[in-house]
Amino acid sequence: MHLLNKMFVLPEMKTSEIIINNPYLMLMFEHFEIKLEVHEKTIDQICNENNISNNLFLCIANLFNGYKPDKITEYVSKDIQSIIKYLGNSHKYYVKEIYPRIQKYIKEIYKINTHTEILMLEKFFTNYFEEVTEHLEYENNVVFPYVLNLDAQLTHKNSNYTLNSYSVIEYREHHNDIEEKLTDLKNLLIKYLPVENDQQLRRKLLFCLFELEYDLNIHSQIEDTILIPLVEKMEKLGA
Amino acid sequence: MNRKIVNIIICETSHIIFEGLTRILNNSINTCAIHFANNMNEMQQLNLRYNADIVILNPVLIQNITKDFLSIQKEFTTTHWLGIVYNHIDQPLLSLFEGIIYINESPGEINALIKKMLTIENPLHNQIPQNETLSEREIEVLKLLVNGNANKEIADKLNISINTVITHRKNISQKTGIKSVSGLTIYAVVNNYISVDTM
Repeated sequence: MHLLNKMFVLPEMKTSEIIINNPYLMLMFEHFEIKLEVHEKTIDQICNENNISNNLFLCIANLFNGYKPDKITEYVSKDIQSIIKYLGNSHKYYVKEIYPRIQKYIKEIYKINTHTEILMLEKFFTNYFEEVTEHLEYENNVVFPYVLNLDAQLTHKNSNYTLNSYSVIEYREHHNDIEEKLTDLKNLLIKYLPVENDQQLRRKLLFCLFELEYDLNIHSQIEDTILIPLVEKMEKLGA
Repeated sequence: MNRKIVNIIICETSHIIFEGLTRILNNSINTCAIHFANNMNEMQQLNLRYNADIVILNPVLIQNITKDFLSIQKEFTTTHWLGIVYNHIDQPLLSLFEGIIYINESPGEINALIKKMLTIENPLHNQIPQNETLSEREIEVLKLLVNGNANKEIADKLNISINTVITHRKNISQKTGIKSVSGLTIYAVVNNYISVDTM
């Protein structure tokens, strides 16, 4: 986290101010599908307009600002829908935007810096990207439908769904650390890989890595400190 | 003392000394676990498991391996190192310890020394050598690692324990900031530890 002034976000604050204080929050707005163009609106107003509960918005905004949620939120169906939407959108941001951008920069660097190590870095990244994609697809295809089914069953919207024996515990185990190789990449680029006219490209690449790292960090915290405890509660309710 | 259990390893060949020390320590520190190691290897394994607060060691055991002892000290940065002395030991060897327990000391003196150790922080702690380059041993481990050897194979080839291999790997990652084997492979090529042709 690279915040100079940690701000604890409250409902009566102006939306624009919290973004100016921590621009990374723009990622949160995108994942929640909240438009910028916030005028003078408070967070309370923005939440109402976008049908997101205050509680959840503040929880995640404050995660972005470096505050961990102090208590597990109660199960509210609307929140589950919002969280899954948020996580699904962040997957799109990874797969469609930021990872391809990183890949593009590495390829551009190799055009002007043909050291073997850069070629190895490209290969390292390609393999890593495949691992990440696999993990995200697992979440998209197994975890999210499971959570949504569970939610549907609890709200009796559709009682035809039957739960399989899958439990969120398995998810926790499967939830491996994508951030580790990202750190490897950063260290290789900052500390060890020979520079050959590529410093500006490398800076752009590194800023992408920092942005991705920031978002991934919040992403896994949402899963670990908000989603998983909530789903465990839901599993008990549904049992 | 705000810690729950104080872990002490006594590394000593004499059971008489071990039993005697254990009794003195148990009488004064309420919650301590005392472990017995017959040699340096056992001591390292126990220390990896228990993360000892204090190791009481007979300097005779490190007489010919003082260099290894220094690197062991760096591996366990939260441990305090005391010597237990009952025969003549040269001063340079004694100076490698933070304190010495002499055989004719009273239980009170011994306990005072132990308590003093528990209240001060090891000077090596938090001084993990972030800028240091890899040691020769770490480079050997790195080379074997990036050539596809598992921990067990590395241990066999270098004739060291798996625990030691794991410690080396931990230190390598701490110094370089790189954890994955594929990342370390790139690091090894950059530093000419391996060449791409031999892979």
